[in-house]
Amino acid sequence: MIFVMGLFLISSVCALGITPARTTVDFKPGLNKEVSFEVLNSGNKDMNLVLAVQGELAQYISVSAASDSVSSSEVSKSFSYSVNLPDSLEPGLHTGEIFVMELPSSAGADGTQVLATLAVVTQLYVYVPYPGKFASSKMIVYNANQGEDVTFVFPVVSRGEFDLTSVKANVDIYNKLNEKVASFNTNEIAVPSGEKKEIVYKWKADVPIGNYRAAASLIYDEGTINLEETFSIGSKELELQEISVGGFSLGEIAKLEMLVENKWSELISGAYVETKIMNDRGDIVSSFESASYDVEPLSKQVFVSYWDTAGVRVGTYETEVSIKYGDASSVKNLKFQVEKNDLTIVGLGYVISADDDGESNTLVIVLVVVVVLLVLVNLLWFFLLRKKLK
Amino acid sequence: MEIIYKLDLAIGVVSLAALIFLVGWGTPLIIAPLDDYETLDGNVLFSIENADGLLIDDNIDFTTPVEYVVEDGLSISLEPGKYYWKAVGIFGSEVRTLTIKSKVSLELQKVDEGYDVVNSGNVRLNVDVYNGSKLVGVRSLDVGESLDVEGTKFVGGAE
Repeated sequence: MIFVMGLFLISSVCALGITPARTTVDFKPGLNKEVSFEVLNSGNKDMNLVLAVQGELAQYISVSAASDSVSSSEVSKSFSYSVNLPDSLEPGLHTGEIFVMELPSSAGADGTQVLATLAVVTQLYVYVPYPGKFASSKMIVYNANQGEDVTFVFPVVSRGEFDLTSVKANVDIYNKLNEKVASFNTNEIAVPSGEKKEIVYKWKADVPIGNYRAAASLIYDEGTINLEETFSIGSKELELQEISVGGFSLGEIAKLEMLVENKWSELISGAYVETKIMNDRGDIVSSFESASYDVEPLSKQVFVSYWDTAGVRVGTYETEVSIKYGDASSVKNLKFQVEKNDLTIVGLGYVISADDDGESNTLVIVLVVVVVLLVLVNLLWFFLLRKKLK
Repeated sequence: MEIIYKLDLAIGVVSLAALIFLVGWGTPLIIAPLDDYETLDGNVLFSIENADGLLIDDNIDFTTPVEYVVEDGLSISLEPGKYYWKAVGIFGSEVRTLTIKSKVSLELQKVDEGYDVVNSGNVRLNVDVYNGSKLVGVRSLDVGESLDVEGTKFVGGAE
């Protein structure tokens, strides 16, 4: 039916949406469930809709309406489908799909632009528990700088009939030469059947900057899952350290020498600096780029840019300096204070953000003082003044 | 003797009231979003007082929370899913949940000989491309990504 409907052509621009994209259900024998979803009239126009079901669960799903219409004034329209599951299904994931397709409102014989048909799908996922104990997991590694903690996360889902009483991971870390540089065991957790829990381990990265590979064995009551992931210590980053300007004279071409540090353990090639100078309305008044440079690993390189200051007035300008390399870029927002014979760059090497912990500290101090006063008043009364009055 | 008991009571009541007030004063005040908040919009505006930080996690145990500094008009962009969040200050707040509902949405526009298909939803899509009744391709589309393709029917579902 879907294919036949696909032959229809409709006029005007199409836009169609559906929410949620997916509904997930844990299997129970003979489960009857009503699932609602909304069709979104993203194009705000009158629509005729056809609803259909397909996928391996299609025989267990019936939609509330096979067709319906949505008026241009309706932002969305609610529908539902009922799921009547059998008494048994094979363990694992089973899926079904509910299609919603927009039908043509007119034949488009007036010569307007003709467009194809759109359809959107909301999915039904049914998880059937595995016999006994069964875990599924993956490894997520959060990169860190040298000397900081790399966080390893193992989200564990208990997909078996019974609870997992003991789940832990053994992790080995290898460098680029495939030499083992570290290994550790995580803590142990329990995961009830059908639930998801996380094992989290923080590993201190006392190793050189670079790329590493983590090989983990996630061990649970009745099985082992092998996982592997790569991660980085340090980041492939170029950082602007300072800008020096020699012999500045307003109206002439200024030479800006920008010192850039490569914090990565490999050569970064083809990097350049783009500088945008903006007026107080945020409009770009001047923009210039340096030549391209290759920056050796863990070293510094001077990038030279030239700024033609003809027509530039004395004043302070917001300036965006971007170091671009490959698909990445590192941006710093600075201020250029331009005078007749001087250019001062504000923002490098300074802490611009204000300390905003003051209010919180005051609250803590007030709380502590009041609590101490209360304790003193109580002690004074019950152990001193009260006895004297007696 | 009666005066002493009255003073006992007065000091006890005042102390208790002061402690209750202090705990209330030091506890973060969560104004928005409401508990069990559901939305299709991935940008969520938080309104919190008396707090330094906001923790958001997809796990109620907050094992790997993302921490934000609380400020006026704090708006956080989240992907579809269910989240647990709480404010932290001198004391911690209650844990609330919010859900960013997933949305499949396609837009279609005629371009030259083919069509421009745009993923205007908030999840990555698989788009089945048909020419007549024949499936001629399956393409992945990131959120906001467009696809210049020839075909007569496009079916979008979550990847």
